[in-house]
Amino acid sequence: MKRIFALLLTLAMMLSLAGTAFAEPITDFVTYQTTANEMETFNILYSQYAKELDVLTNCIDGLLSNDNYGNLVPGLAETWETLDGGLTWTFNLRKGVKWVDYQANEKAEVVAEDFLWGLEWVLNEKKNLAANMSMPSEMLVGAQEYFDYTKELPEADALALGLEKFQEMVGIKAVDDYTLVFTCKAPMPYFATLGSYNCLYPVSGKLLAELGAEGMKAVSYDTLWYNGPYTMTTYVQNNEKVLTKNPTYWNKDIQTFNTVTVKMVDSVDIAFQMYQTGELDNVTLNEANLQTIYRSPSHEFHNHLNEARPTKYSYQIHLVYDKKLEDGSPDVAWNTAIANEAFRLSWYYGMDFTNYLGRINAINPLNCTNYCYTAANLVATSDGKDYVQHVMDLIGLQPSSETYTRFDAEKGAAYKQQAMEELSAKGVTFPIQMDYYVQGSNQSALDTAQVLKQTFIDCLGEDYVVMNIKTFVNSLIKEVRAPQLASFYINGWGADYGDPINYLGQETYGKDNAFYSSAYSKIDLATDEDLIAQYKEFTALVDAAAAINDDLDARYKAFAVAEAYMIEHALVIPLYVNISWQLTGVNDYSKIFAAYGIQNNRYINWETNKQGYTTEDYVNFAKVYEENRK
Amino acid sequence: MLLYTMKRLLQSIVTVLLVVTIVFLLLRLLPTDYYFTEEQLIKLTDQQRHDQLAAAGLLDSPFVQLFRFYEDLANLDLGTSRRIQHGVPVTQVIGGKFLVSMRLGLISLAISLFLGVVMGVLQARYKDKFGDHVGTAYTVFVNAVPTLITYSLVLVIGARLFKLPSMYSVRNVARSSILPVVCLSLTSTAGYMLWTRRYMVDELNKDYIKLARLKGLSSRKVMYRHVLRNAFVPLAQYLPYSMLLTIGGSLLVERFFSVPGMGTLLTDAISRYDTSIVQAVVILYASLGVLGVFLGDVLMTLIDPRIRLTSKGNTR
Amino acid sequence: MDMTTNNKPGLHPGGGGSAADDLFTFAEYRHAQAEFTASTEYSYWRSVWRNFLRNKPAVIMSFVFIILFIFTFVAGVIGNYRYDELRPDNKLIFLFPNDEFWFGTDNLGRDYWSQVWYAAQTSIKLAAIVGVGEILLGVVIGLVWGYVRSLDRFFTELYNVVNNVPTIIYMTLIALMVGQSFLIMAVSLICFGWLPTARNIRNMVFIYRDREYNLASRCLGTGLWRILWRNILPYLISVVVLRLALSIPSTIAYESTLSYLGLGLDVNTPSLGILLRNARSYFLDFPYLLIFPAVIVSVITITFYLVGNAFSDACDPRNHL
Repeated sequence: MKRIFALLLTLAMMLSLAGTAFAEPITDFVTYQTTANEMETFNILYSQYAKELDVLTNCIDGLLSNDNYGNLVPGLAETWETLDGGLTWTFNLRKGVKWVDYQANEKAEVVAEDFLWGLEWVLNEKKNLAANMSMPSEMLVGAQEYFDYTKELPEADALALGLEKFQEMVGIKAVDDYTLVFTCKAPMPYFATLGSYNCLYPVSGKLLAELGAEGMKAVSYDTLWYNGPYTMTTYVQNNEKVLTKNPTYWNKDIQTFNTVTVKMVDSVDIAFQMYQTGELDNVTLNEANLQTIYRSPSHEFHNHLNEARPTKYSYQIHLVYDKKLEDGSPDVAWNTAIANEAFRLSWYYGMDFTNYLGRINAINPLNCTNYCYTAANLVATSDGKDYVQHVMDLIGLQPSSETYTRFDAEKGAAYKQQAMEELSAKGVTFPIQMDYYVQGSNQSALDTAQVLKQTFIDCLGEDYVVMNIKTFVNSLIKEVRAPQLASFYINGWGADYGDPINYLGQETYGKDNAFYSSAYSKIDLATDEDLIAQYKEFTALVDAAAAINDDLDARYKAFAVAEAYMIEHALVIPLYVNISWQLTGVNDYSKIFAAYGIQNNRYINWETNKQGYTTEDYVNFAKVYEENRK
Repeated sequence: MLLYTMKRLLQSIVTVLLVVTIVFLLLRLLPTDYYFTEEQLIKLTDQQRHDQLAAAGLLDSPFVQLFRFYEDLANLDLGTSRRIQHGVPVTQVIGGKFLVSMRLGLISLAISLFLGVVMGVLQARYKDKFGDHVGTAYTVFVNAVPTLITYSLVLVIGARLFKLPSMYSVRNVARSSILPVVCLSLTSTAGYMLWTRRYMVDELNKDYIKLARLKGLSSRKVMYRHVLRNAFVPLAQYLPYSMLLTIGGSLLVERFFSVPGMGTLLTDAISRYDTSIVQAVVILYASLGVLGVFLGDVLMTLIDPRIRLTSKGNTR
Repeated sequence: MDMTTNNKPGLHPGGGGSAADDLFTFAEYRHAQAEFTASTEYSYWRSVWRNFLRNKPAVIMSFVFIILFIFTFVAGVIGNYRYDELRPDNKLIFLFPNDEFWFGTDNLGRDYWSQVWYAAQTSIKLAAIVGVGEILLGVVIGLVWGYVRSLDRFFTELYNVVNNVPTIIYMTLIALMVGQSFLIMAVSLICFGWLPTARNIRNMVFIYRDREYNLASRCLGTGLWRILWRNILPYLISVVVLRLALSIPSTIAYESTLSYLGLGLDVNTPSLGILLRNARSYFLDFPYLLIFPAVIVSVITITFYLVGNAFSDACDPRNHL
C-alpha cells in the first residue's frame, strides 16, 4: 500500500515537473505600445510621462528601486539612513558602476557628483523648463530658491551654469565620490521613497561636458549614456525600439531578457492580430476581443484569459465647487447644489456604479471597486495592515465581489429627499444640469459617459439631475478646466512617493501646492460657509497627521482619520481602480509593483512562458504571492 | 516658352511664401497656451509662462515674429522641434522620414499607374461587356468599403494566410513593405482605372475615331496610337503632382502599419502644437505642390500641342 | 422650285403618256415640308434620359437608392426601439441579430437597427448638400478660371494657396474656434471641396478653349457666359456628372476620417462614418456591426457610380442615335 502510494506521489511530482519543464521562458521579449504613446524625449530628467519613463527606467538606474511587493530595495545606493528623524538623509553609493554608451562601450564611472548634476538640471529653469521640480522644491532646502535664481538669469547664462552656485544654495552634498547627503526643509520620514523617482536621477557630468546644455536637451538614444540593465540599440520613431542587455550592468543577480523589442502599433486591435500570429508576447484585450474569447469555451485563448493587476492609479469623481457657464457667469444652481452635503451624500449612497465598472472590467466589474481616495499598496502600518484597510475600517465599508456594498438605496433616497428640500428652499430648481466633458475623438470615453448618464437616470432620476455629455477637441486644460465649464471630472492619481500626504495633500484647502484643489475642484473660490468649514476641518486633520514625523504608525493612522472624514462627507467620491484583461506570457506577480516611482516597467526578474499562461496559472500565482507576502 | 517658365517659377515662389505666411499667421491665431504641454500648464505660474514665451519671442506681434521667421529662413534655420522630438532640429526630424514615405509612395504609384491605365484602357475597349463590368465592380468595391476596413482585411489576410509581417520594419524592409504597398496601390489603381476609362470612352465617341475605323485601322492601333494619347492628356496633368506628393506619405497606411514616415507627422505636429514642425512641413508640401502643378501644366502642353499656356496669338 | 409649269416634255398631269408615266408621280408641294431641314426633332435632355433608361443596371440601382432613401425615414418608425430612447444595458452588449434586435446590439447594448438608419439619414443629407454645393461652386469657378486668361493667374494662386495649406489645419482651427455642428461641417466641406472639381473643369476648358469654333464665336462677339454655357460646358457635362456622383461617397468617407480625428460632427449627431469608425475595432469579432452600415454605404456608392457613369455616358451626344 505504501509502495503504491509512493509510486503515485512520484508520478504526480514527475508530471508536475514535466508541466513546468514545458514552460519555456522567453529570452527575447516582444511587446507593444500604441503610437500615441511614442517617446518625445530621451532625457529622463525632463520626462514627465509614462510613455518615456516606462522605457527609460530600463536604461538608467536611480538611487533606489522597488521589489515586487513594493518594498524599497537598493539601486545605485547600497545603504541609506536618516539619523535625525528625516531631516538629513545619507545615501552610500556602490562602487564600480559604469556609464556606457548605447553599444555598451564604457565612458565613465558613476559618482556622487552625477546626482548633483542631475538635480541641478532639474532645478534649473532654463534647462529643464520646470519639469519634475515640484517635489524637490517642496522637500529640499534651497531648491525653490535656486529655481527662482535661474529664472531671473538670461538664458545663455543659466544654461552655462555649473555646480558652484548650486552647491552653495541647495541642500545636497557629495561628501565624497560615493556618499550623498540630502538636507530637507523639515523632517520627512518618507524622503527615501523619492529615490526611486526620476527627479533625483543622476546624469554624468562628463556627458554634460561633452554635449553642452543644448545638446543635452536634444539627447537621443545614441548619444545618451546608460547605467541600467539595458541599452537602447535601435530606435525608429513610431515603429519600434530594441533594448539590449547591458553586459556591464552592476547587478549580476538579476535575470534579464537578451533583448526587449517594443513595437509601436496604431491601436490595440492591430496588436491583437499580431499576438495571434505570434509576433507579440502579450496583449491587452479590447471589449470585442474579450467578449468573443470569453463567450466561446472552444476559443483557442479561452483558457488563457488573465486579469491584470490593478494599475497604480486610484480614480475618483472630483466635484467642482466653482463652476461657470459658457458665457463666463457662475453656474449658481450647480454651485449651490454641490455645496450641500445631502446632495453629495445622495450620490455617495444612491449610485450603484456596477454598470459603470462594467465598462472597465466587463467580466468582473466588482473587482474594480475603490472606496478610498488613496491607492492600495502605498504604505502599511508595522503590523502589515495596508493603509487603505485602515481607512475602510473607519468608514465601515469592505468591497465585495458579489454586490456594490456602498450602494444603499434607502439612504440614497433619504438624502435625495433632504437635498431637494434644502435646495428648493434656497431657490434652486430641479432637475439640476450637470456638464461632463469628454474628448470628441475618444469613442470609448463617450460610451463610458453614456453608461454613467444612464446610471444617474436609473439611480437618482431625471427629476433630480440631468447629465449633459459635452466634448472638447484637444486639450482638457485649455478648453474645459481653465474656463471651469465642467461640473465634475473623473480622474486618477498615482503616487510619486510613499506617503499618504502625496494623495491627501492634493485636496486641501488654501494651499498652493494642492493640485486638485487648484486645478479641478476650485475649492478656494467657493463661497458656501458650511462647505468651507468642512474643508478647513479636513485640512486641519491632514496637517496634524503630516506633523507626526517620529512614529510612522501614528502618522498613517492620523491620515486615515483625515481621509475617512473626507470620504464620509463626500468631498470627493472614490470610484474605481483599473483592471484589464490580457493574454500574456508574463507572470505579473513577478514584476516590480510599487504604488509610486517609475520602477514598475523594468524588464528584470520576470517569470515568463512562451506558450502564454492559463487562467489557472494566474490563480496559482496570486495565491503564492499572497502567501509569500511576509 | 522659356520666358513663361521663368515667370511661372517666380509666381510659384510667391505662392509658396504666401502659403507659408498664411499658415504662420493662422497658427498664431491660437492662444499662447497651446505652446505648453498639459503638465507645464499645471506646474508653471502665469509669470513663468509669460517669461518663457517672451524668451522664445512668442509674445511679440505676429508680424515681428513673421519677420524673424523669414530672417531665420534666409539663414536656412528652420528651428527645433518642441514636442515631436524635443530639442532636435527640424531638418533632422523630417530628414529620415520623407525618404521612407517617398520610397513606398513611388513604388505604389508606379504599380497603380501601370495597372490602372492598362485596365482602364481594357475597360474602355470592352465597354459594356463582361470585362468592363468586372472592372467597375472592382472600382466600386474599393471605394465603397471604407479604407480602414480594407486595410484591416488586407492585414488579416496577409498576416494569416501569407505570413507576411504585420508591421513595417526597418530591419526587413523588402518583406514588410509588401502589405503597405498593396494597400496604397489598391485605392490608387481604382482611381486611375476609373478616370482612364472615362477619358477613353469620351475619346472613342469622337468622329475621327469613327473615320479611323472606317479606314480599316486595327482596333489596337486605334486604341493606343490615337485614343490613349489623347485621353492621357488630362491624366498627365496630375502625374508630376502625385509623384512629388508621395513624399507626403499616406496618413492612414502609415498609421496602420506603423511606417515611420511623413504621413503622420503633420497631424501629430498639429495636435501637439509643435509649430516649427508644422511650418517646415507646410513649406515642404507647398513647394512640392506648386512645383507639381507647374510641371503638370508643362507636361500637358508637351503632349498636346493644341494647348497653349501663353496668350500669344489669341484674342482674349 | 417652280411647280406651276408643266413644260417638261412628255409630262402631263393627269394626262396620258408613255409607260414611263407609271414610274414617276408628281410630288405635291407643301410649304412647311419645303422649309424642313432636319430629320427628327431632337431634344438633348430627352435623349439623355432615353439613353440612360437603356442602361438597365443603372436604372435598377437608382430605384434601389430611392427605396433606400425612403426607408431611412420609415425604418425608424417600424423598428422596435425609438432612436431617442436608446439606453445602455450591460447585459445586452454585442448581441448578434435576433428577433428583438434586428441588427443586433452595439458595445453598450443599444439597438443597432435604429442607430444605423438614423445615421444613414444624416449621412445622405450631408453628402447631398455638400455634393451639390461643391459642384455648383466648382463648375462656375472652373469655367471662369479656364476661360478668362487674365483671371487664370489669380485663380491659380488662390487654388494653390487653399490647396497647399493642409486641410487639417483649417479643420482644427474651425473646430476650436467656431465649433462643431452639421451646418459648420457642410459649409467647411463645400469650401474645400470645390477645388478638385474646379481644377478638373479648368483643365478641360483649356483643351476646348482654343478650338476653331470658339475662335469663331469670339470673333462674332459672343458674350462670355453664352460661350461658356453653350460652347464649352456641353463637352464637360459627362465629367461634371461623374464628379457629382463621386463626391457623394467621398463626402461620407471624408466625414469618417474627420470623425476619426475628432473633428467631425457633434457627438450627438450619428453618422455612418462614425459607426464605421467604431466598428473597426470590433468587426473581426462581431462582423454585423460593420456589415450593416458598410452595406448601406456600399449601396449608396455603387448607385452613384453606376448612375453617374451611365448618366455620363448618356450625356455624350454622340451616343444619342
